[in-house]
Amino acid sequence: MAYEELFGEIKSALVEFEVDLLKVKTQEALDQGVEAEKIISVLSEGMDVVGERYEAGEYFVTSLIIAGETMKEALELLEPHLSGRGGAKRGKLVMATVAGDIHDIGKNIFTTLMGTAGFEVVDLGVDVSAEAIVAAVKEHGPDILGLSALLTTNLEQFPLIVEMLEKEGLRSGVKIVVGGATVTDEFAEGAGVDALAKSAVEGVNICKAWV
Amino acid sequence: MYEELMAVYEKKEGSPLVFQPRLRHWYDVNFNAGTLPERYHGMYLDEVYGDLGVPPREVWGPRRIGSELSGYFALSIVDGDDVEIWTRRLSGYMGESEDDYLITEYRTPMGSLRQVQRYTEHGTSLMNVEYFLKDLEDLKVFEHILGERSYGWDQSRYEWGNVRYGGTIPLRANLERSPVMWLIVGIMGFKRTVTMIWRHPEEMKEFMGVLEDEHVKQIEAYRGKPVEELNFGDNMHHDLCPPPYFREYVIPFYQRAMPRVHAQGMVASSHFDGNLKTLLPLVGETGLDGLECVTPLPQGDVTIEEIKEGMGDMFLRDGIPAVYMCPWTPVETLGSHVRELMEAFYPRLILGISDLLPANGGVERIRLVKEMVDEFNAEL
Repeated sequence: MAYEELFGEIKSALVEFEVDLLKVKTQEALDQGVEAEKIISVLSEGMDVVGERYEAGEYFVTSLIIAGETMKEALELLEPHLSGRGGAKRGKLVMATVAGDIHDIGKNIFTTLMGTAGFEVVDLGVDVSAEAIVAAVKEHGPDILGLSALLTTNLEQFPLIVEMLEKEGLRSGVKIVVGGATVTDEFAEGAGVDALAKSAVEGVNICKAWV
Repeated sequence: MYEELMAVYEKKEGSPLVFQPRLRHWYDVNFNAGTLPERYHGMYLDEVYGDLGVPPREVWGPRRIGSELSGYFALSIVDGDDVEIWTRRLSGYMGESEDDYLITEYRTPMGSLRQVQRYTEHGTSLMNVEYFLKDLEDLKVFEHILGERSYGWDQSRYEWGNVRYGGTIPLRANLERSPVMWLIVGIMGFKRTVTMIWRHPEEMKEFMGVLEDEHVKQIEAYRGKPVEELNFGDNMHHDLCPPPYFREYVIPFYQRAMPRVHAQGMVASSHFDGNLKTLLPLVGETGLDGLECVTPLPQGDVTIEEIKEGMGDMFLRDGIPAVYMCPWTPVETLGSHVRELMEAFYPRLILGISDLLPANGGVERIRLVKEMVDEFNAEL
């Protein structure tokens, strides 16, 4: 209870993107002997408030980016105090824009937000072959596979990847979320994926509900 | 078609509706892959347009990629004597290699800037993977480059297009994106632009003023030329440019630019091809005459009614979601959407695909929509 006021100030500084104040208050908490893990959980609560404001239409994707940048600066202060103990991740995401497609703005926003939401992100980049995606699932054992495609010509990669994962016996161990402006509900359903995210934020919410 | 398109610009009623789909991407990809339908073997793009009975969008002569027939930007650019421009193509010919990059470097006495672009999926366009502007120092270098840059009317491109389509379609020419979108999409990238605006709001606003000066020069270069419409290639999307940015940077920019456009006897539109739900209520404040693309559901995030309500009296160019041209969308869905669109927007409509026919889109659906337009026009 002794730290409630300080924690409130940390949360508030994050939510209002007051990065200098956030660093001061984070350092103050460390100096008072608060464990870094506890401060991270306070920051996560702040990010939840940011998310709520986004859902309410008060904040936008740009706000989420700035919140991520603000939090990153606090985390840099905390990092030396975490060594050896590490910070438990919420879950693991392997993400790729599928073969034949190099659009990455949506994918990058999604991976940024997923990192901020506490997920470990393995970003395979753009134009990634189905074989490489399946190999990455085998190697990293993610909870979630995220697939992005903008071009209608490359949407067929989704069912292909699902089929390859099934053949490899990997499908049941991973949830698949897809995104991209040209992906319709009907197409996603037919492709055999678990969810279609119409926006990066919707994608993060879907993943948070899964893991 | 000329009179019909001019009628939209001039807000005249009773003129037939024009269907003006963009086919070049579909054509280039299938031409290069050898997958053009047999009917179109041996035909160049303008012959395909002719066969389908629809007009192209822009015809500006040779050079440059990304245009409907041959050119988006009808101006020639001259850079300063102390600006060296180095380009290097890393590998292969168009579409040959999956690692096909174009590196451009500006070398000036103020410093150097580097941009890396990758040829897109089918080698028909370019996409940035490294942007010119990375920090505040780069802004000064770019400001120096722009300060010495001048624009001139590209007469040779005009003459080429005029021979091909003069009198068939009014000439339309393109401008750079509005400053904040120029930064986000063109020269700085999304995340960096957002963080730079957050960390250095005054410097970034001042720099956007520098970019705006370029628009003044570009618009001025079109003065007295046979151009009817100018198009800002914004690629607007509310995730990239949310309402606070739109209010602070976009609306004031257009409110200053549009009187210049109108004073030259031209109209102007902008390319809005992303999600727009939160921006449509604001577009009326820009003073723009029309919007291009404005993708409806299920590809975009807005209904036809929401588009109509937001745009008011502005003209809409396009309106058919590209996925409706793909084989997995029932033809009936396409048909009912087109009917609804025509009824909602005519006569403030130039029908088209938002924003182009996909490479695996059905070109025969173009013919189908054209027939619907002909039937609609017959009933006028």
